[in-house]
Amino acid sequence: MSDQDQTHFGYQQVPVREKQERVRAVFDSVADRYDLMNDLMSLGIHRLWKRRLIELAGVRRGQRVLDLAAGTGDLSARFAEIVGPSGLVVMSDINAAMLERGRERLDDAGLMGHLHYALANAEALPFASNSFDCVTIGFGLRNVTHKDWALAEMQRILKPGGRGLVLEFSHPTQAPLRKAYDLYSFSMLPMLGRLVAQDADSYKYLAESIRMHPDQDSLRDMMEQAGFERCEYFNLTGGIVAIHRGCKL
Amino acid sequence: MIDKRLLEILVCPLTKGPLIFDQDRAELISISGRLAYPIRDNIPVMLEEEARALSEDEAEALRQQHQPA
Repeated sequence: MSDQDQTHFGYQQVPVREKQERVRAVFDSVADRYDLMNDLMSLGIHRLWKRRLIELAGVRRGQRVLDLAAGTGDLSARFAEIVGPSGLVVMSDINAAMLERGRERLDDAGLMGHLHYALANAEALPFASNSFDCVTIGFGLRNVTHKDWALAEMQRILKPGGRGLVLEFSHPTQAPLRKAYDLYSFSMLPMLGRLVAQDADSYKYLAESIRMHPDQDSLRDMMEQAGFERCEYFNLTGGIVAIHRGCKL
Repeated sequence: MIDKRLLEILVCPLTKGPLIFDQDRAELISISGRLAYPIRDNIPVMLEEEARALSEDEAEALRQQHQPA
C-alpha cells in the first residue's frame, strides 16, 4: 500500500497514514466529556445497547474477555463483574486519554484486580493467538482505518469456541426513521457538540463516520471474510445500532 | 505492576513474537521486532509509533542473554 492511498475521514478523503492521527485528535478532544455526550446524544439509550451486547456475549465466570475501543469502560466494568476474580478482562483503547479516563472511573468504582489495561491498535493486537473467550468492540470499528485487519485480529486472538461482537452505529431499516435520524444527527449532534464539548467539528465527524460505515449485511460479510463463522446481526432501535456476532470454531 | 496473567498473553503486535519484561526500564522488549514498548502508569503501550527502536548491539546482547539453553 502506498502513502498516496486515500481513505475516508467522515465525508473527507484523507491519506491513509493521516486517518489514525485525525481520529486520535477527535477523541483527545472529546475524552473529558465523552460519557456526558454519549448520554445526551443517544438520550441515554446507549446504556440499553450496551446491556444487550452483554447479554449476547454470553460471558461466564472465569472467562477471558478483551474489550477493544473500550473508551471509558462501560462494557469492561460489567464484564469484570461477570467473570469474577478467576477470570480476566483486558480493557484496551488506542487512545491514551480515553483509557486513562476509563481507569480513573473504574478505580473509583472499586473494580480492580482482574481488570487490566493495554494501549493497543485493533489492527495489530499485542495478544497471543487463542487467548480470549470473547472479544468486543463497542462504537470503535468505524474509526479503524483497516476494518478487515481489525476483524482478522479479533478472530485470531479468540480461542476456538470464542465469540466476537461488534456494537456499532448502523443503517436504519425504515425510511421515515432514516429521515428523522439524518435530521437529528446532522443538525442536533453538532449543536450538542458545540454546547457541551465546545467542539462541533468532532461531533460532525462522528455523524459523518456513522454514514460511511458498512451496512448490516456488508459488515456480516466482512466478518465471514475475516474467518468468523455463524455470523449474525441484531438490529437495535430500528437499525440505528446493530450488534454483529460471530464465532471462531 | 503489570499482572502476571496479562504478561503471559502479551506479544509483539508486529511480529507476534514473545516479549521480555524489563522491570527496571519499565519496557516490554520484542527482539524479533527490534522494539521496546514502554509501560506508562502500569499500562503497557503496545503501539509501534510509541516504541523505542533497539540498536543492533542491544538486540544482539538480548538475543545472547535470552537464548534458550
